[in-house]
Amino acid sequence: MFIDASMTRDVVSIDPDASILEAKELLKKHRIHHLPVVDKDNTLLGIVTDRDILRALPSAFLNDEEVQRDTERFARHKIKDIMSRNVYTVSPTNTLEDALLLMEKVPVGAFPVVDQHGKLQGIISIRDLMRAFINVLGIHEPGTLLCILAEDKLGTMKRIVDAISEERIAFGSILVARHWEEGTRAVFPYLLSHNVAHVKRKLEKLGFKLLNPMEWYLDRLPKND
Amino acid sequence: MKRTGFLFDKRYMLHDTGPEHPETPDRLKAAYEGVEKAGLLPKLTLIPACRAEERWVKTVHAEGHIRRFEEACLCGYGEFSHPDNQICSETFDVAMLAVGGIIETAKLVMEGKLDNAFCAVRPPGHHAEPNKAMGFCYFNNVAIAAKYLQMEWGIKKIGIVDFDVHHGNGTQHIFERDSTVYFYSIHEHPSFSYPGSGREFERGSDEGYGYTLNSPVLPGQGDKEYMEIIERDLAPAFDTFKPEVILVSAGFDAHIDDDMSYIKLSTQGFSWIMKRIVEMADKHSKGRVISILEGGYSLERLPELIKNHIQILLGM
Repeated sequence: MFIDASMTRDVVSIDPDASILEAKELLKKHRIHHLPVVDKDNTLLGIVTDRDILRALPSAFLNDEEVQRDTERFARHKIKDIMSRNVYTVSPTNTLEDALLLMEKVPVGAFPVVDQHGKLQGIISIRDLMRAFINVLGIHEPGTLLCILAEDKLGTMKRIVDAISEERIAFGSILVARHWEEGTRAVFPYLLSHNVAHVKRKLEKLGFKLLNPMEWYLDRLPKND
Repeated sequence: MKRTGFLFDKRYMLHDTGPEHPETPDRLKAAYEGVEKAGLLPKLTLIPACRAEERWVKTVHAEGHIRRFEEACLCGYGEFSHPDNQICSETFDVAMLAVGGIIETAKLVMEGKLDNAFCAVRPPGHHAEPNKAMGFCYFNNVAIAAKYLQMEWGIKKIGIVDFDVHHGNGTQHIFERDSTVYFYSIHEHPSFSYPGSGREFERGSDEGYGYTLNSPVLPGQGDKEYMEIIERDLAPAFDTFKPEVILVSAGFDAHIDDDMSYIKLSTQGFSWIMKRIVEMADKHSKGRVISILEGGYSLERLPELIKNHIQILLGM
């Protein structure tokens, strides 16, 4: 749940006085797109992205000679001349949801992770968030998806979870689709088992309606008149 | 009419999965009765099961897996590595008999004594991984058969068609990097169905890239989609690959009356699929098809489904 668990710890960073060419090489070598800029004490000073570097270097349309001449000229410029100093950061004790919602709001692909002293502890990118939520959904593990229509009433979720747990079946995840119909919710338990037919029958006996997930989905699509 | 083998042994029913499990001995009883009542037994070559040599199981499975499985059964455990995999003290022996019977069947086909065959075995195999039992499966019967055919008979190219409604994850993994075994699976879309794998972008890796093909089918779909997909995906793939033998992971759980999936394949739909596979075998593999039972849990429908399946193999 915390950024600490999902961030990349061996973060590649760069010195503010390093050249733009060095930065370009680092990005290429490590196949990354974001380079936090830190001082000798590992304090975060700014960030440089592959777009910043592309903007700073000569056009792809120049000929070889022009490229050679211009590259040498630009290579003498330092990272501190092109980096962004206003960096969006998160802390190791922020949650994954914090990172997710922040990334929805701001146009960046990664956040440096800094502690309360401003020291760089890691970096979390959109890929790291994706991996974390794949784990949350449990979809790397073999399982079966159920779709249950349930009354939007206190205790309903508990009855569903109890009914399933009594059968000694583990949950990968449970998703709830809100605002299904007035008074009902669609609950999607992802069960880590191949043997769920008896659980479905049990839930039906308890009064729950089980849907084919596609019926639910197709019903939600806009109708063509 | 073709010379079709029928592997069946009463001992396959000794694998007891307990009271709340769909993979029951009654499935085989239903299958057998369907064949018997239709008067097909005299037309078939009955193959008795025999215990496999462990060296064949080892072509696919880790020694540790085999030993742990054997021990779990000897110690009287009720399950092996997951509650899905219910076992009894006979299960290991039954699994060895299943593999052995299938190997004997393959031998008869390769010796030219049979044109094709259906193996009514339990436990099923296509979810079994080299080092893990999964989804009611312990040894990957079809994968071991493929290895046997290649190593003992020098078969270079094997085509596997898995039409069980669940993705054959075990078989896919075993041959993922292998360009000599083409793995094709058509199954309910993994977002809705166990085991959650078998997406379109899974095409194999390394040398095996392009020799794995998955066709996910959305819940609620049936005959029409299966026919379109098999013509669009499988037929051209095998036209190019030209398998020398076709192995079929024949699961019957895509049936509309089978509650292990939301797929609505009809009895006629299954017949269409098998006829098409036999056509492909006639075209590329000298007619050599070995079909091996996987899933299929509707005791009401299994008799007719198995009867039809065997009639198609016989060429009736």
